[in-house]
Amino acid sequence: MFAEFDLVMPGDLDEALDILAEAGGDGDAGILPLAGGTNLVVDLRARRIRADKLVGLGRIAALRGIERSNGRVTIGAGTTLSDILRDPGMVEAAPSLVDSARVFAGQMVRNTATVAGNVCCGSPAADTVPPLLSLDAEVTLAGKGGTRNVPLADFFLGYQEDERRPAELVTKIAWDAPKPKSANLFYKLARRKGDAITVVGVAVTVAVEAGKCTTARIALGAVAPVVKRAREAEALLEGEALTPELIEAAARQAAEDSSPIDDVRASADYRRHSVHALTRRLLSQAWAQVTEGG
Amino acid sequence: MTETESWANVNLRQVGRPLARTDAPGKAAGKTRYAGDYTMPNMLHAKVLRSPEASALLRRIDVSKARALPGVACVLTAADLPDRKASTDIPGQTGKKKLATDQQVLVKERVRYHGEPLALVAAETQAIAEQAAELIDFELEPLPGVYDPFKAMRPGAPVVTAPDNVVGEHKVRKGDIEKGFAEADEIIENTFRTQFIEHAFLEPEVGLAWIDENDVINIRVATQVIEHFRPIAEAVGVPHNKVRILGALVGGGFGGKEDVTVEIYLALLAQATGRPVRLAYTREDSMFGHGKRHPFVITHRTGFTKDGRITAVKVTITADSGAYVFLSPYVLLYATVAAPGPYRVDNVHVDAVAAATNNMFTSAFRGFGAAQACVAHEAQMDEAAKALGIDRMELRRRNFIRTGDKLVTGHPIESAVWADECMTKAWEALGERTPDAGPVKTGRGVATYQQSYGRITWLHDTSEAWVGVEVDGSVVVRSGVTDIGAGQVSALGQIAAELLGVGLDDVTIYNSDSAVTPLAGTTTATRGLYMTGNAVRLAAEAIRGRFLARAAREFGVEPGEVDLAESKAFVTDRPDKSMAFKALVALCASEGVHRSELVMFRAPFTGQIDPETGQGRVHPDYAYGAQAVEVAVDTETGEVTVLKSVGAHDVGQAINPDAVAGQIEGGAAMGQGYALSEELCYEEGRLTTPSFSEYLIPTAMDVPRYQSIILESRSGLGPFGAKGIGEPALTPVAPAIANAVADAIGVRVFDLPITPEKIVMALRRAEAAE
Repeated sequence: MFAEFDLVMPGDLDEALDILAEAGGDGDAGILPLAGGTNLVVDLRARRIRADKLVGLGRIAALRGIERSNGRVTIGAGTTLSDILRDPGMVEAAPSLVDSARVFAGQMVRNTATVAGNVCCGSPAADTVPPLLSLDAEVTLAGKGGTRNVPLADFFLGYQEDERRPAELVTKIAWDAPKPKSANLFYKLARRKGDAITVVGVAVTVAVEAGKCTTARIALGAVAPVVKRAREAEALLEGEALTPELIEAAARQAAEDSSPIDDVRASADYRRHSVHALTRRLLSQAWAQVTEGG
Repeated sequence: MTETESWANVNLRQVGRPLARTDAPGKAAGKTRYAGDYTMPNMLHAKVLRSPEASALLRRIDVSKARALPGVACVLTAADLPDRKASTDIPGQTGKKKLATDQQVLVKERVRYHGEPLALVAAETQAIAEQAAELIDFELEPLPGVYDPFKAMRPGAPVVTAPDNVVGEHKVRKGDIEKGFAEADEIIENTFRTQFIEHAFLEPEVGLAWIDENDVINIRVATQVIEHFRPIAEAVGVPHNKVRILGALVGGGFGGKEDVTVEIYLALLAQATGRPVRLAYTREDSMFGHGKRHPFVITHRTGFTKDGRITAVKVTITADSGAYVFLSPYVLLYATVAAPGPYRVDNVHVDAVAAATNNMFTSAFRGFGAAQACVAHEAQMDEAAKALGIDRMELRRRNFIRTGDKLVTGHPIESAVWADECMTKAWEALGERTPDAGPVKTGRGVATYQQSYGRITWLHDTSEAWVGVEVDGSVVVRSGVTDIGAGQVSALGQIAAELLGVGLDDVTIYNSDSAVTPLAGTTTATRGLYMTGNAVRLAAEAIRGRFLARAAREFGVEPGEVDLAESKAFVTDRPDKSMAFKALVALCASEGVHRSELVMFRAPFTGQIDPETGQGRVHPDYAYGAQAVEVAVDTETGEVTVLKSVGAHDVGQAINPDAVAGQIEGGAAMGQGYALSEELCYEEGRLTTPSFSEYLIPTAMDVPRYQSIILESRSGLGPFGAKGIGEPALTPVAPAIANAVADAIGVRVFDLPITPEKIVMALRRAEAAE
């Protein structure tokens, strides 16, 4: 059973921000934004989180919609995982995000959970975050004082800690559509195929020009307090042709860049092993994709 | 996908057909009322407060704040209850019932497991009940506990309940084990471990109790066993005839609703308040609310000749009984009987023990010990085949038990043993082998089994049913049987319809009311169809006999020349000589022919087995079958994908092949979870996997298209030669998957569940060993 709380459903963004700012300029831990609610409601029910008031975001038109223009992809904060899967352009605009949406929880959760909510839930196992990191996504935060853009790579400060202030809302997430000669992949390793919490998630981006890797992104989920990029591993790849030896070295480096824990799902040892195996596999697949016929 | 193969030449008209089950339309349309759907005016809502510690002393419990909360009707602690206990040990279970192992209804002093109930609350709303539970102030002093059955049996170990931690022991001594091993060319020894698992039925425990104008405590409850009115009455201190259990269609049982769950709490709260009380467990409550499957450690030492004949088997079994006895000694007995598998072994030695710990108590779970035994004996056969260089199925064929052979208990098997037929068909149905793809390796496995159906013969099991025909020709069946989702009730309708020559639609069935439907016994032990099906058959046959006699007189022929079908009575060789069933019934009614019959069916009654040798009869009969699976294992990540899974079972006679296939498919899914992903983890007795985000049952994404092959030997003790399928459907699945994984990667994971991590570690060890 729930503890009691109020639910308000503001009709526009300004109203929502006013409510969030009600208890002093910095907001109040008792007033929480409610997007899809697939984490928040569970936590409220289990009394892991207390709320006096929930600010439902479902009626705010400004948070809806997916836009693509001039090579830039922008999704409103209200975009659900099912919206991602239903948009035929997404397969090109964010291949890894589509991969992650396909294995994200179950159908009912996908229908209501939002990408922005997944980003803001603070879980290192959030499935959309490695793909968004691998796409160099940027988060737009709105507050009473205005809006600001934060690269997703700088958004996470620590376990359950991020750049969003309590009285701010994420309004959109944007990234550049992948270049033509690039590959962008995601793999979720879990204890079962449907409706599972990720044990290790890996997203990679590899772009190529003249036989050399120009951009390499490796983003790792569930192996550190926050989803993070394996920057040292990425650095090994940029400017190089990706030989099996180099890929192996980068995969090993990615495993070293991770700092997993033992928990009920898996040991740290297995997680590190899997980062190595999956990074190697995804980089090999990505390189094969971008060099095929070229 | 289902394929039925019947080699019998019998003309059945209703039985054996995939008719739409009587419970299907209500479920499909959402009209079925489950126990949780019932409410009453003036009803209270209950909550159980549970211990957060596994082993502790309850120093103090103060419910004054909870009682003072507006809207709270009643808070009960052990201090408010008379000093009665709830029995957890069936009388005669071990022949030496330990009264001390009965369970306190609420903790008086000693907490023995995480989740043991401390207090009961009833309030005007669920929210108030929960708030009140939070206001109960209590102090627990942690005590040293014991969390491992091996440690529990060591001298000096903390004793869960006096006098000691051994709650069950069984032995088999058959033949000459020393001689058997001396004759062996190869001796293979392995140890296998299975885990705690959860039934994970769709419908958590729920019930509604009220006391009527005759002082009868009525309890509408989701249960497999309405006959629990007896221990419930004893626990709350009223005569047996003052508790009435009303069932409802049950949203899954699997053994988890075989013991008493919410009933005693409901009865106590209804007594204390005089008002109707509803108690509905959440999923998290359910994790603490019923016993789990026993973890087993099983060591097999098996002697083989070089041509693959078993010369001797020595099995040791250790089971974790958790904090209370419940059905542990029986589960252990089933494992003991099933230990060598469906193989002919002349020299057998089994030592089985169940020990109490401060883990969650363990009790009935589909397969009931035989499933754990199968995990071990089927892995052992594959390991032996590998060591002997003999094909896995060929090794099994050389050792299968045959009709007339004696089981480990010395009792001869009388029905058909179609283990080979089932295994061969299941394997063939796998079709072409899926090729390996890089690091993803394909493997195949098969497992066979021997699973009893019907209860232990010295429990003197009986089942009653009443069949009657109304004056308009419609048929009524009354029987206490509970339907836990497998179509138990519908099957009874098909049997009555068959014998009375009417359609299933013409039959109405009243069931699971301990006061007004004849007591049919439990829906457990794969006994429902065998026992109650026979009772309905006998009752319907009695009426049929009277109707045939009357019709024969009308037609001027002998009764043996008349048949009933398609709602008509007719002369078999002269179909033109016929009359409507309705007309025949009206005629019988007008003449006072008895149109109903109450029958008690009795299973074979025996004495107990010899406790020193395990020799004697334990079960009425056994079912045989096999599962074959193909898996793909990612050798880099350890992920397993089940590609194909085929269950082939000799069910004797399928009453409804669709219902049988439902059991086979459900067993395939449940067994897959047992093999690969499901595990309740306890740390120092504390459950660390209390929800479905940690406890992982297979989802639709995880399962292949299951295939069912139904074989019908018509050799069983059930109606029309039926055996049973409820438990058998599950039993071979996990070992078949384990064998397929071992086949794929070349090394074996000896502990269930076979997680990706264990596969990676096993491969790493194998690599290091090379």
